[in-house]
Amino acid sequence: MWRVIASVLAAFFGVQKESRRQEDFSRGGAGPFIVAGVLLAIVLVALIALVATLAAG
Amino acid sequence: MRIRKRLVWTASGAALAVPVSGALASGWNMPVGVTDLSRDIHGLHMAIFWICVVIGIVVFGAFFYSLFRYRRSRGARPSHFREHTTVEVIWTIVPLLILVAIAIPATATLKAMYDTSEADMEVLITGQQWRWRYEYRGEDVAFLSNLATPREQIAGQGKKGEHYLREVDEPLVLPVGRKVRLLLTSDDVIHSWWVPELGVKQDAMPGFVNENWVRINEPGTYRGQCAELCGRDHGFMPVVVEAVAPERFDGWLAERRAAAAEAAMGLDRDWAMDELMERGEQVYGTICVSCHQPDGRGNPPVFPALAGNQTLMDDRARHIETVINGVAGSAMPAFRNTLNPVEIAAVITYERNAWGNETGDRVQPSAIAERIAE
Ligand code: HEC
Ligand SMILES: [Cu+2]
Repeated sequence: MWRVIASVLAAFFGVQKESRRQEDFSRGGAGPFIVAGVLLAIVLVALIALVATLAAG
Repeated sequence: MRIRKRLVWTASGAALAVPVSGALASGWNMPVGVTDLSRDIHGLHMAIFWICVVIGIVVFGAFFYSLFRYRRSRGARPSHFREHTTVEVIWTIVPLLILVAIAIPATATLKAMYDTSEADMEVLITGQQWRWRYEYRGEDVAFLSNLATPREQIAGQGKKGEHYLREVDEPLVLPVGRKVRLLLTSDDVIHSWWVPELGVKQDAMPGFVNENWVRINEPGTYRGQCAELCGRDHGFMPVVVEAVAPERFDGWLAERRAAAAEAAMGLDRDWAMDELMERGEQVYGTICVSCHQPDGRGNPPVFPALAGNQTLMDDRARHIETVINGVAGSAMPAFRNTLNPVEIAAVITYERNAWGNETGDRVQPSAIAERIAE
């Protein structure tokens, strides 16, 4: 679980260790990554919206 | 070696400095402008420009230095590694921080640009194919602003003037130091009202009202043009803003208001006999009738007859004079302040053509207005 989130965040940031990538690809399917990706994308949008409203307000 | 290095640096520095300073001085750059906001915008533009220059120097410097220093002929061997997480993190975080550092002042400026509250006055700007219309809201002053460049210049038959295609018959006049809210819309297609020195470029769209604002710091003439391709004469609908001292602006506005009122009253045109007679009959029937009687025969000797009054018909100037200024020491009042020029002109015309008086004279409202102004 924590590993999945860490990998998704690394993907958002755009930098990932090769060793980690290999591990991720060797364990289970893509399902958890997709779910975590969608959820974290929503969180990211909400965060940016929050910052924007704070800046505008 | 040392000298060569220094030479390379000096040369590349000069190679960079010459075009940059040349471009800044040439007028190709964005103008600093004459509003606080246009200054902010210019400041942001330059700050971001220099940030880009520094990044460019660092990145391409490293690039060319590596190319040169580690060239194959000097026996350089490429290293084979697939990743370097620390470096990757650094080159992601540093640009992120730079972007945030740029975003903070840029957002503050954007916010200020959108803050159209607490304006001292409001101008509605309407784009039309192919001219601008300016309306000073709540002032009854509105006019069209058309291209003033002569057709021969456009057709290439005359020498082009200094402000070729950037001159209009009637500029938008604005006061210095006051916050002016601009409301922009269009009668037909999308136009864009752009004056670089005011830091304003705003679309004018049919069915929408966009808002912007200016507070000009320095008097002067500021020129711009339509910035949205809007049809055949897109290049022939310039914007000219004349910024003047507030007192001068107030005087100008009062003048325009008076002119608009005169136009509304009809002082700017020639009145036909029918209109004058109709209006004159009305005025006579409500004001003059009590003394001069419905048939114009008066009540001599106290109230003179106007019907068949040959000496009066022969002396149009005295007729006008009497109605404007009255007759001192008699019951005949002066009407210069109680009737407007249209009413005076109409009633005189009426008296000179009613009850068998057949002079055929028309007295024009504009002539009366001039006479009163003297
Ligand atoms: C309160 C009464 C009164 C009213 C109202 C009045 N007049 Fe008279 N008007 C006079 C009197 C009195 C004279 C004569 C003045 C004199 O010459 O002593 C006169 C003179 C005139 C004369 C000059 C006649 C001449 O032969 O010299 C004209 C023209 C005239 N009036 C036009 C008008 C018009 C037009 C109006 C309406 C807008 C009007 N008057 C309203 C009382 C009035
Ligand atoms: Cu246009």
